[in-house]
Amino acid sequence: MMNEWKEIANTMENTYLRKWKESGRAAVGYPCTYVPDEVIYAADILPYRLRGTGTTSSSIGDTYFGPVICSFPKCVLQLAGEGRFNFLDGTIIVPGCDSMRRLDECWRKAADDYKGILPGFFHYFGVPHKVTDYSLMWFYEETLKLKEKLEKHFGVTITDKALKVAISVYNESRKLLMQLDKLRVKDKPVINGEDALSIILASTAIPRDEFNKMLRKTLSQLEIKKETIKGKKRLMLVGSINDDPEFMKVIEDCGAVIVTDTMCFGSRSYSDLTEEEGDPLFALAKRYLNHAYCPRMFGYYKPRLKNIMDRAKKAKVDGIILQNIRFCDLHGSENGIFERDLEKEGIPCMRMEREYGPLTESGRVKMRIDAFLERIS
Amino acid sequence: MKRETKEYHYDWNLWTILENAAKTYDGSKKEYEALLPYVYHYKDVLDTFVRQGEPGVLFLKLLAKYMKDCVTARERGKKVSMNTFCLAIPILYAFDVQPLALEVWSVLGTIVLKRGTAEFLDFCCELGFTETSCSAQRGALGAYLSGLGVKPDFIVCDSPGVCDTNANSFAFAAAYLDLPFYQLNYPSTLTEERTERYHRKDYRELIKFLEEQTGRKLDEDKLKEIIRETRIQDELAAEIFEMLRLKPSPVPPVYDLLLYGGKFMMGGLPQYTELLQSMVKKAKDNMQKVIAGTKSGMEKARGMFCYIDHYTTNARMWDFLESRDISHLGSLLFCFWQQEMPYAKGREDEGYSIDDSSVDAMIDSLAAMNSRMPMVKQIRGPYDAPNMWRDVLVCANLMKPDFVVYMGTIGCRNTWGMVKLLVRDLEKAGYPTIVLYGDGFDDRVQSWESIIDKIEEFTHLRGILK
Repeated sequence: MMNEWKEIANTMENTYLRKWKESGRAAVGYPCTYVPDEVIYAADILPYRLRGTGTTSSSIGDTYFGPVICSFPKCVLQLAGEGRFNFLDGTIIVPGCDSMRRLDECWRKAADDYKGILPGFFHYFGVPHKVTDYSLMWFYEETLKLKEKLEKHFGVTITDKALKVAISVYNESRKLLMQLDKLRVKDKPVINGEDALSIILASTAIPRDEFNKMLRKTLSQLEIKKETIKGKKRLMLVGSINDDPEFMKVIEDCGAVIVTDTMCFGSRSYSDLTEEEGDPLFALAKRYLNHAYCPRMFGYYKPRLKNIMDRAKKAKVDGIILQNIRFCDLHGSENGIFERDLEKEGIPCMRMEREYGPLTESGRVKMRIDAFLERIS
Repeated sequence: MKRETKEYHYDWNLWTILENAAKTYDGSKKEYEALLPYVYHYKDVLDTFVRQGEPGVLFLKLLAKYMKDCVTARERGKKVSMNTFCLAIPILYAFDVQPLALEVWSVLGTIVLKRGTAEFLDFCCELGFTETSCSAQRGALGAYLSGLGVKPDFIVCDSPGVCDTNANSFAFAAAYLDLPFYQLNYPSTLTEERTERYHRKDYRELIKFLEEQTGRKLDEDKLKEIIRETRIQDELAAEIFEMLRLKPSPVPPVYDLLLYGGKFMMGGLPQYTELLQSMVKKAKDNMQKVIAGTKSGMEKARGMFCYIDHYTTNARMWDFLESRDISHLGSLLFCFWQQEMPYAKGREDEGYSIDDSSVDAMIDSLAAMNSRMPMVKQIRGPYDAPNMWRDVLVCANLMKPDFVVYMGTIGCRNTWGMVKLLVRDLEKAGYPTIVLYGDGFDDRVQSWESIIDKIEEFTHLRGILK
């Protein structure tokens, strides 16, 4: 079963996606956990989270983006320019951060030179940077606009009933992923961070109902699994986007197991449920604007610190890796204060800056992890 | 950080230097010239302003007053707000709060101090702030985080939704110093009805925040006084903008810094009005004589800065432009989007106007003004949707520059994300455009000398300056 998860995690076009497309249905890409993908799912469209998996060059990304930009959107643009997202019928751009929001114009302008790479549906989805009654209202209106545009472009009707079904399916996913969390944080975990990430990645690349079926099966296998992970240092991963199970493997191969995280391809994507009562679109807006805050939400340092502390305590971690992709100042800077405050609480931390994309620096990462593990031994 | 750097507070040190600088021209010209050899390290920066005559001296006096106001605010019982340059400060003055704009203090340190703000830039990194963060805030922030400056009472910023690295500096400072924090947050659009509704609600929340922090209610009379002064200032700024369009431009290059610098420090106060009046007078004199505002009175080329300026030691950027007879046609920091500005013609809904008929009208005017501040207006949303691109293009069409310069900071994620597209589009529109890979606040990224080389090579190659 794990091999299937890994295959989905490590490929762009998995078999489920291919089948979905073969059945004549559309797929829409989205880049960030602030997009209520239930709205897409309710339109019988496959929500597919954009990644830069498998890039081997950034020549196209570098042509449109400037030089001091995070490598994640550059890798996404690279794949788009190479036509590897051509299976997408639409894309949603989110101002998750400045580098990510510039993907909007860079992708559009690249499409002038690389014909056919711009999906027919290309939508900018504005997300406020604060949580208030009026920002929630704004976000609700954005969600409504997204719904209407999807309906118009794809000629579908997204009913409240379909939205409620989507909410229920996604909530089930989240509950299952929370169960997986419980297996990760056990004194003797039955699954490592690399495998857990593969499962989480699959949740963003295949239909959710299929995902739930598969995860239920995996959980039942894990719950009776006798073989446990022993004698490893228990680590937590915090910071910039990571969708690379190989990165987790490099860390875990040093003698560690990643038992928890606060990552967006991680606990931030499933730790909050959507209310199943009332107006479903409003419930989605509320859930997505309020879900575990990314540092793009300015001024919420304390809730984020609390989230890390709570998870670290629950998972009984020996140390925390605070990592950021170069030029990700939001995570990078906050990691600096996290280090100060977490070390004060007696939790050893290491800060690491890295690049997104192919693991060209695994030697350096390994050396840093080795040194950290030696420190906390 | 070096021991001698910690000897004096950063802000106090700069204030005393500029306080003295502002007095140097109070005597005779002969006395001033006799003094220069005694202030060897500061004579160039001093002369950059003093040689402008009255406007330069008034700017030095405005600087000195602003700095003194910041440094002594707490002992005078005033609250201090750490904020960003693109926050419209009349609201703070209306609450009798002293605005302390980090970027202003970074510019001053970079221009005045021999080593710039290098040690403070690096000090931030020692605390965990990324080295790739924006130097515009980081320069002065290092001083305030290390306790070498007045302690702010709270932090207000208005860059979320506009510029992450800017907003992040203030969020970092708030978390690090554990200070109350308020953010004005901007949606990606500007003129939609729901955007205006959002601006207004958000602005009223700012007022609530200021009421909580200061323990006082908004003073309607004071606000009206400041707002009226702002209206006068807007009219004067429009006159300067109109004169910039002339060929030759009678406006001296450094007026660009005087105009926006004065507004960021003392917008809404009479000192800034006095400065603008003096600038208008001098530029009009040049206009009547049909001479350029450069040192020689000639204009060999017209340069427009589509983002910010370079603040290298001794304000050498403006000196370079003056000495090469290049008119500075303003930067993005020059555009505040008053409705009466020529660039707002036909796009009045994108500009603001001031209505002082009621408290609500004044607050709405301030909300509109704030949402159109330099950078706040342009850099929100995609660059061609349409604020940044259209604003730059309209200004270029009005100003008719011979070349356009992109100068920023290495931390400016959002403009580096779109600058290649902007350059391509500007070139297509017929404007030779150069991207400078330096940092406006940190000479260590690329020396000013090498930047000059690049500008000269570019203007030579493109046949702009022979």
